[in-house]
Amino acid sequence: MPRSASSNLGYTPPDGGWGWAVVFGSFISIGFSYAFPKSLTIYFKEIQEYFSISYSEIAWVSSIMLATMYAGGPVSSILVNRYGSRPVVIAGGLMVGVAMVMASFGTTILHLYLCVGVIGGFGLAFNLQPSLTIISKYFLVKRPIANGLAMAGSPVFLSTLAPLNQFLFDHFGWRGSFLILGGVLLNCCMAGSLMRPIKIKTKLPPRKATDEDDTGKLDVTSQRAGQDESKQSGCAAKLSQFIDVSLFKHRGYLIYLVGNVLMFFGFFAPVVFLAPYAKHQGIDEYSAAFLLSIFALVDMFARPGTGLVANTRWIRPKIQYFFSFAVIYNGLCHIMCPLLPGYSGLVVYAVFFGLAFGMVCALLFEVLMDLVGAQRFSSAVGLATIIECGPVLLGPPISGLLVDIFMDYKYMYFACGMMMLLGGIFLFIMNYYNYRWLEKEGKQRKVDELEIGSAKELAANEEDKDNEEEIKRSTAEEAADSTCKEP
Amino acid sequence: SEYLLLLTQAKELPAQARRLCKINDGSLHAQLLEDLHLSETTPSPQSDPVITTRKVVSKGQNQVTIEELAILKPQTIELSCYLTDIPNNPPYLTGYWTKDGKGIVNSEETVNRTNEQYILKKTFDILAKDLGNYSCIFKEIQTQVTFVLDVPVIKDKRDKPIVSYTGDSVVLACKLKQTPNTWNWYKANNTEKGLINVTANPLNYKIFIHGNETKLTVLNLTEEDSGKYICSAEFDIKPSESYIELKVLSYIEPLKPFIAIVLEVIVLVTLIFLWEKCNKPQNDNISAGENELCSEQISKLTRDDSNGVENNTARQRKLEH
Repeated sequence: MPRSASSNLGYTPPDGGWGWAVVFGSFISIGFSYAFPKSLTIYFKEIQEYFSISYSEIAWVSSIMLATMYAGGPVSSILVNRYGSRPVVIAGGLMVGVAMVMASFGTTILHLYLCVGVIGGFGLAFNLQPSLTIISKYFLVKRPIANGLAMAGSPVFLSTLAPLNQFLFDHFGWRGSFLILGGVLLNCCMAGSLMRPIKIKTKLPPRKATDEDDTGKLDVTSQRAGQDESKQSGCAAKLSQFIDVSLFKHRGYLIYLVGNVLMFFGFFAPVVFLAPYAKHQGIDEYSAAFLLSIFALVDMFARPGTGLVANTRWIRPKIQYFFSFAVIYNGLCHIMCPLLPGYSGLVVYAVFFGLAFGMVCALLFEVLMDLVGAQRFSSAVGLATIIECGPVLLGPPISGLLVDIFMDYKYMYFACGMMMLLGGIFLFIMNYYNYRWLEKEGKQRKVDELEIGSAKELAANEEDKDNEEEIKRSTAEEAADSTCKEP
Repeated sequence: SEYLLLLTQAKELPAQARRLCKINDGSLHAQLLEDLHLSETTPSPQSDPVITTRKVVSKGQNQVTIEELAILKPQTIELSCYLTDIPNNPPYLTGYWTKDGKGIVNSEETVNRTNEQYILKKTFDILAKDLGNYSCIFKEIQTQVTFVLDVPVIKDKRDKPIVSYTGDSVVLACKLKQTPNTWNWYKANNTEKGLINVTANPLNYKIFIHGNETKLTVLNLTEEDSGKYICSAEFDIKPSESYIELKVLSYIEPLKPFIAIVLEVIVLVTLIFLWEKCNKPQNDNISAGENELCSEQISKLTRDDSNGVENNTARQRKLEH
């Protein structure tokens, strides 16, 4: 079974103990990163009135925040490679807290774009990447569960932030709410302080290794980022000091990127349009909002559940297949959605979609860790998010365009379903070949080692034979000498 | 004969067309107006002779149907109730009208069946005082159709107050489907309404009116600006009103929870870092000393706490004595 790059960490991850505190910290960071931009929409109407602007101008705030969060991925990766997760998350928490406090004093919409959008987006980017990276450092055997639990932060926080934002808005208006949210976001610093770096002593004298605990603290402060000996010179060498660009030659990583880009085109739009689709069918606002709550509730439990399932010994080795299955299942859900009649049909759809969405999200980063290993994960996720930035941001507007052109939601659902099916099938087929190639390469390596081993044996045998012959000859000569010498 | 033709044509012409006729021959015109005056039967002062009709079809028995009608100006309106699908198809039914639940005198009439339908009509002159719920009720089959006659109601009213801060500005908005003649804003002080006059207070208020929506901007807010603001859509028949409540806070209000949360974060972060220091691996020789120091500090803290508790109980005992 080809377990590609997970085992060259250089140490045994704790897989427990303080790791669960780290999972809790990641839970908080990931929760804020994904849920916060979406929960801001509650304030939009009043801010729109206050600044006398159109809805699209205020919606830019959310879009800029999401875009910066994704685009800040590589920057985040470089910093994590250099300084480790903890300082980056604490810095991110401070950034986003201060950004919201500044935004509460804003006098123009541009002020909000800068504070909430750009600075807040970067702050959240500095929260997202390191949280994922540190999980890969602390867990190996139980990694899928850890990933599933940490990613569950997103729906939990969305369910909590939405009513909290409504409460704050009713009591304090938008300015006071932004001020208080700035304080709430400072809790990311608390989450960051939980992310204790793992210390490995770089020179490990063999006798001392037996004294230490398996789960003892090992120091990776002198970790070399460009560990894969890329023999490029000049610019490329400098770049690879900060971020691992040789990842683009990694076959599994390329498959992951292409599949994800296809998938993300149809990933978020159905969530965005669930409530409007329900209202379009004549369902009242509260029932439409209830659909979203069902979706979030199922999502909340699907993520750790998927982590548990992915951790079993039947699924873990073939986790790439599990991921492509989740994507295909998602696509099928969307294609079937327009065929389901009435409100009960939509409830069924919300349940199945929640399950599918949770599965994909829980596995999204786990499969990446599985492909590239913990060492290169930080760079990998940074590069992945900046490439995924495009489809994530373009997906909902293009879907909106489809709805406007055809005046019907079902074509949008078909399109999203098709994109996800395409991505899933691509991932499935390419991973089938990838597994086979990895097996072949593994076998080839073993054969080579065997050959080298047997060649060495042969050489050793030859040497022994030569030695024996020499010894025989020398003893014979001695005997001859001695006999000759005897008169 | 030409004269007669003109006369009959003029009767059907609406009001505006009749006024245009004044350009024609003077004497003939005078004649036309006189004749038309005589033919006018209903002396409603402001009503338009054009009668609006509203019809509702009700199927089956034991039905209650409600229809909302927006009335913008005084008018004469004919309400019709059409009944179909009545079991046993009786040859006639008795129907009468009610206004706001009270029966209208002399409104009861017998409705004969015509082509499987029963039709009950009545014409009403509607002025401001006549707005209300008009129902046609069929006795035998307990079927009722209610026409709700009212000025357009301003929907999406916020039931919670809008919150703003001193020194800031706020925008209050009202919107309708129909366009009124104009909009007015009032500030409610207990039971009275005071009209907001922008020319008198240009520094504090701005009113923006664009057809069916209006916005009031209140600048330089102070705590006295809190209260109820009423937007009034003026129609010919009666104004339609809605209110928005405004609450003006000082900046200290949100600052209190903010500082509380920041303190909580600082405390948690400090605790986490302290915990980490105390639990540093026992492999380090230096950390052994630290561990002792840490446990000393912790025991000191707990001793302080228990001292505090003892003091409290001591004080309580003193008070009791």
